[in-house]
Amino acid sequence: MKMTEMKTKNKCRRIRAWLYSTISRSFGPEANWLNDHIMRCPRCQRRLVSCGKVNLALSFMKSQPHELDLLMRANTQTIAVLKHSLRSELKAQKLETKLPEPKMLERYSKYGHSLVNLAACIVILLLMKIGVFSSMGQFHNQGQRVMKQYYARQVGEDLADEVFPKDTKPPSSSNYRGFTNA
Amino acid sequence: MGELTLMFSKAISYGSVWDYAASESVVESQRWILSTMQKYGQELVTLLWRILGNEQDVCDAYQDTFLQLAHFEGGQKPDNVKAYVFRVANNVAISMLRRRIAEKNRLPMAITSSKSISSPVKELNSKYLQETLRECITQLPEHLRDVVTLRDLAELSYAQIGKILGISGATARVYRCKAIQLLAVWMNKEE
Repeated sequence: MKMTEMKTKNKCRRIRAWLYSTISRSFGPEANWLNDHIMRCPRCQRRLVSCGKVNLALSFMKSQPHELDLLMRANTQTIAVLKHSLRSELKAQKLETKLPEPKMLERYSKYGHSLVNLAACIVILLLMKIGVFSSMGQFHNQGQRVMKQYYARQVGEDLADEVFPKDTKPPSSSNYRGFTNA
Repeated sequence: MGELTLMFSKAISYGSVWDYAASESVVESQRWILSTMQKYGQELVTLLWRILGNEQDVCDAYQDTFLQLAHFEGGQKPDNVKAYVFRVANNVAISMLRRRIAEKNRLPMAITSSKSISSPVKELNSKYLQETLRECITQLPEHLRDVVTLRDLAELSYAQIGKILGISGATARVYRCKAIQLLAVWMNKEE
């Protein structure tokens, strides 16, 4: 039941992805017929140019810098007309000297790359710890079993039990550190 | 006589205690204004600066916004303070901009130099483009104008704009699209 459900879900996902790519190929801004039309239609060209101009003007407005102390001045001017009791508050005095601060995301964006690298390293270490060492343990156990069977065949069961006692614990991952380093 | 003086001095001391208590309660009840200033001040200044493009106007509009906030329904705190301050700041800035444009239009043509610049140069002139866009924004209907300023100048998300204006995020998106189309047509006419 679950398998059929999973298959149906996968099929749905594939169809969705296909539909999306087909629609964006046929009707998206990079569709050939649209590009051909714009190349020949002066009216559409004019519209596109004027939309671009609006976006350009908006970018100019956004990129225009102001003085660093503008927030401070605005706060000071505003606090000066508030009630006297509010003006003497400590918070008000702090606001009068407040400078703009970058947002949290902007502040830590420079560490983003290093954080991603660190996360990747941690994931790799975890995978190594879980995956590699557990398979190494399995490999060791199986090897021991094969050796015991060989000894049992060659020198007898009793001697093999003595060499490889039953309560031998599988080695811990720490035993392999030297091995991996080597 | 002595009793009278004593009573008078007592009255004065009670009065000052009363005044002190009253001012304390005012501080307590209106401290949120300072918190609002601390929380949204930077975003508001950015929005006002981008709408007005003049530092003194920004300070005036900012002051007006917080004065309106302080006097909202006799000093009451609005339910959605962020929505209130952003809408008020937007409206105040647009009114100032309209006034400024009207004053500029009253000046004789010879003084306003931008009209004399030839067209290709105009298109590359960032100041000219900004001024034209500002003029066009003031002519937009209120619901479209609010979305454009909050989305493109305050850089808020559609969800935040929806909350501020009391509409859905999808509606805000549609309004922004319409606004840009209108602005594009008007900016072409301006030339």
